[in-house]
Amino acid sequence: MAQGEKQRSVLRINLDILNAVRDEGEAKPTHILYKANLSHERLVKYLDDLTAKGLIEMKQEGENRTYSLTPKGVGFIIEMRHAESFVQGFGLNI
Amino acid sequence: MKAERRKLASGAFIIFCLNITSALVALLTSYYAYKANRLVSSSVLWAISIGFMLLGFGLVVDAGTSLISGRTLVDITGRTAGESFSDRVLTLLASLTYLTLQMVAYLVIAIGYARSTYGRQLSTAAPAAAVGSALLSLYSFAILSYFVTLMILAFIVFQGLLLRSGHGGRLSGMVLLAFVLVLVAHCVLLVSVLVLGPGLFLIGITVQFLGFLSLLIFVVRSEVVGPG
Repeated sequence: MAQGEKQRSVLRINLDILNAVRDEGEAKPTHILYKANLSHERLVKYLDDLTAKGLIEMKQEGENRTYSLTPKGVGFIIEMRHAESFVQGFGLNI
Repeated sequence: MKAERRKLASGAFIIFCLNITSALVALLTSYYAYKANRLVSSSVLWAISIGFMLLGFGLVVDAGTSLISGRTLVDITGRTAGESFSDRVLTLLASLTYLTLQMVAYLVIAIGYARSTYGRQLSTAAPAAAVGSALLSLYSFAILSYFVTLMILAFIVFQGLLLRSGHGGRLSGMVLLAFVLVLVAHCVLLVSVLVLGPGLFLIGITVQFLGFLSLLIFVVRSEVVGPG
């Protein structure tokens, strides 16, 4: 099975979401959904989870809802980048 | 005779320095694997962390052995028979400890890699062989240990190649190079034990040190740059 066809781990999905939020600065759910390649139902579940962990924060202005990284989220991405680099060095993937 | 003893003692001191540096790199790798495992929760990383920790402790013990040997060689005339005997017992115990720790360490890493490649079904023959071989005499044990370690290292290199061909990052070549160098070092060390050549032993330790140096470069670079 090719790498792209492999099922993503929960950690990988969370990281994809966090990277999407970081790239946008203040990201709308539709942008995150597109970038992280998730269904709406699963995205909501993951966003709630990441918000509860304090890695992202949600801002609601009328109908518009946006997500941005918290300092803890920024730190987590940096730590994950180092961990990913280390793991890849041993021929593994997260 | 005295000059020859001094030459051997300086060789022991070089081995001490190389082993201590290698031990620090092994312990550093163990720490980074532990840190990564806290985030990623992977059984392979757990095995790498435990394996390199054991390897680090083993190398510290081996460095201590070199230091004792060097001191004994320099100070041979000033030591009483009792002190010389206790030094020999200490060296013997330290060598046994190092060889056992090293074998178990590489076994743990190999099991971790095997779990990643083949799943959780693993033979228990290898750990049993490790325990059984510990009952043999030091010389036989040293030969067997280096041979078993050689086999385990060859397995790790093979697994590393398989994993690298699948999804290795740009830094994975350095880890593979480290394991290949340690494998080559153990070939040389095995020959040095068979022919009892101190020169070959020093070469083996130096090649092993180069392997750990490659690992150190990888650890430092993986902290500086992102994933490949």
